[in-house]
Amino acid sequence: MYEWSEEQLAIRDAVRRFVDDEVRPRVELLEHGDEPPYGVIRKFYSTFGLDEIARERFAAQLRRKVAGDGAPARRGGEASAAMTLIAIIELCRCCPGIVTAMGVSTALAAGTVMKSGTPAQMERWGLDLLTFDKIGAWAITEADSGSDALGGMKATARRDGDGYVLNGNKTFITNGPYADTIVFYAKLDDGTVADPRERPVLTFVLDRGMEGLEQSKPFKKMGLHSSPTGELFLSDVRVGKDRLLGEGESEMKGAGRESAKDNFATERAGIAAMSLGVIEECLTRCVEYAKNRLLWGKPIGDFELIQLKLARMEVARLNVENLVFRHIETVSAGKSLSLAEASAMKLYCAQAASEVAMDAVQLFGGNGYMSDFRVEQLARDAKVFQIYAGTDEIQVTHIARDLLSR
Amino acid sequence: MQAMNVVVCVKQIPDPAAPASLDESTHTLDRTGKLILDDSDSYGVEMALQLADTEAGDEVVLVSMAPNGEVSGLRTALAMGAAKALLVSDPVLAGTDALGTAKVLAAAIRRVEPDLVIAATESTDGYTGTLPVQVAEILGLPSVTFAKSISIDGSNVKVERQTEAGYDEVESPMPVVVTVTAGVVEPRYPSFKGIMAAKSKPVETLTVADLGLDASEVGVSGSRQEIVDVSEAESRSGGEIVVDEGDGADRIVAFLEQIKVI
Repeated sequence: MYEWSEEQLAIRDAVRRFVDDEVRPRVELLEHGDEPPYGVIRKFYSTFGLDEIARERFAAQLRRKVAGDGAPARRGGEASAAMTLIAIIELCRCCPGIVTAMGVSTALAAGTVMKSGTPAQMERWGLDLLTFDKIGAWAITEADSGSDALGGMKATARRDGDGYVLNGNKTFITNGPYADTIVFYAKLDDGTVADPRERPVLTFVLDRGMEGLEQSKPFKKMGLHSSPTGELFLSDVRVGKDRLLGEGESEMKGAGRESAKDNFATERAGIAAMSLGVIEECLTRCVEYAKNRLLWGKPIGDFELIQLKLARMEVARLNVENLVFRHIETVSAGKSLSLAEASAMKLYCAQAASEVAMDAVQLFGGNGYMSDFRVEQLARDAKVFQIYAGTDEIQVTHIARDLLSR
Repeated sequence: MQAMNVVVCVKQIPDPAAPASLDESTHTLDRTGKLILDDSDSYGVEMALQLADTEAGDEVVLVSMAPNGEVSGLRTALAMGAAKALLVSDPVLAGTDALGTAKVLAAAIRRVEPDLVIAATESTDGYTGTLPVQVAEILGLPSVTFAKSISIDGSNVKVERQTEAGYDEVESPMPVVVTVTAGVVEPRYPSFKGIMAAKSKPVETLTVADLGLDASEVGVSGSRQEIVDVSEAESRSGGEIVVDEGDGADRIVAFLEQIKVI
């Protein structure tokens, strides 16, 4: 694959029109006002029939689960992967926070329920998350365990009769302040495993309003303002086994850790597409600015230092686009990226997006520092690509560990 | 009620956002590259789809003409929900004028046996605004222009026809040709599934000979109109800047009265 097909370009154009009509006019409200992104996301879903596609996908996955087919559901291969990534790219040209809020709910929260849940749990929580009728959060990170999320996790699940009592706090939780459904990771504390780092990780599903569950207000952040991020506080939250994904500890033995790691790979692939959106937008704006901004009587594009910046942006765009194409081809071949491959892709793309966006601010000069010219927002937003879904430093360790294990 | 065939005449035009060029000899627009659905036709497509959506079995058929076999614009309308398309494509069509185009489209429309033919009031590249009524005349059908809404009542069509003062309520037996004013409905976005399905929807391509027309009736040779010269539009003057010294509102009103806007 070296270019988008005609149908993929048609999807791109349709999403681009939606972004121009529905997102750009309210980007200030989303970024600096009090408008959460969920109304726009739901309109995006209904406009393009994504809710209908989600229902069909849910029915197929449920049938497979009931039939006992443990293999990952085929999701239409290339067409489905490309459709998702094109939407991510186009939305990220304007408002990456929307993609973060949408992706965490439909890919991470819903994805975990659909993969690890029983058929009853899929029906109870999965469908509404996939259609975005309900907002989902995926709660794993804690204040003292970001990159060490699984080992250093302090949230506990203590057995209590047929159920559990959950305690602990989570932070940096996307959609945390508004989530209707929360996928919550906690360590089983039954006293049989002495070392807390080695205790089994269990995954629970919580609903907004449960006794003992508190959802904070949104944090103030450097960027990604349109993606509400917050904390969760659990104090003796009592849950039945029906809220333990898989509904059995034996089924969940090791599964909590594995489902989290699967999601790491999914997240990392998505960030390549998010990076491409930011890079494409910055490059388009920079080329136009370089042609029209006059200094000493000529366009600044005539100056070689500006040309160098543009050329470096184009190199980054081509490389990141090629990585996105490679991901689509991998999926279409029925394969998936290894964690190390996804890490390598995420590391490169996140750094490229951040560098391109900061160079765009520099190229625009004083105007670049002003919000009207949009690139400063993209620069602030892109920085988080190097931090969330695994920091640059963690990606390096995953890549190196894989190389050295061969 | 019997299923209804709604034909929408759609034009594929060079992307207005891309730089356009004119053929030096004929002064006509260069149409050799990728063409897109004329934005003014998207309203007719939407109106036809809304009418077809109300009755099961009703079908929207696109009819178009393009010299180079281009279907990109048709795929856009098919993705919105039209069932199929009929494209007349033939090298001899290059340079065809409005009447020649009307002859070609009328011949194509006749094959579909429509109950209703919808067209835009005018295209956004040619702006002659004459084609729909020419098609109606050739087909021997009544025509209603400037529709802001269309409804079906038995074998009749009811149209709210825009006028300077408001709108007229017009009723006509079907089949009928109706032109739709831009902006009267909100054209739907094609769904992702619609876009993927559009590539497998039928697009029948016909030549001028297939329609039983003589090549001399179309193209440059068949044209009764000729563009003899094209010149650049005068650039707009800077306008008049009025400084508000307490009488700003009065001066605005006076200006609007002078140009007969109020």
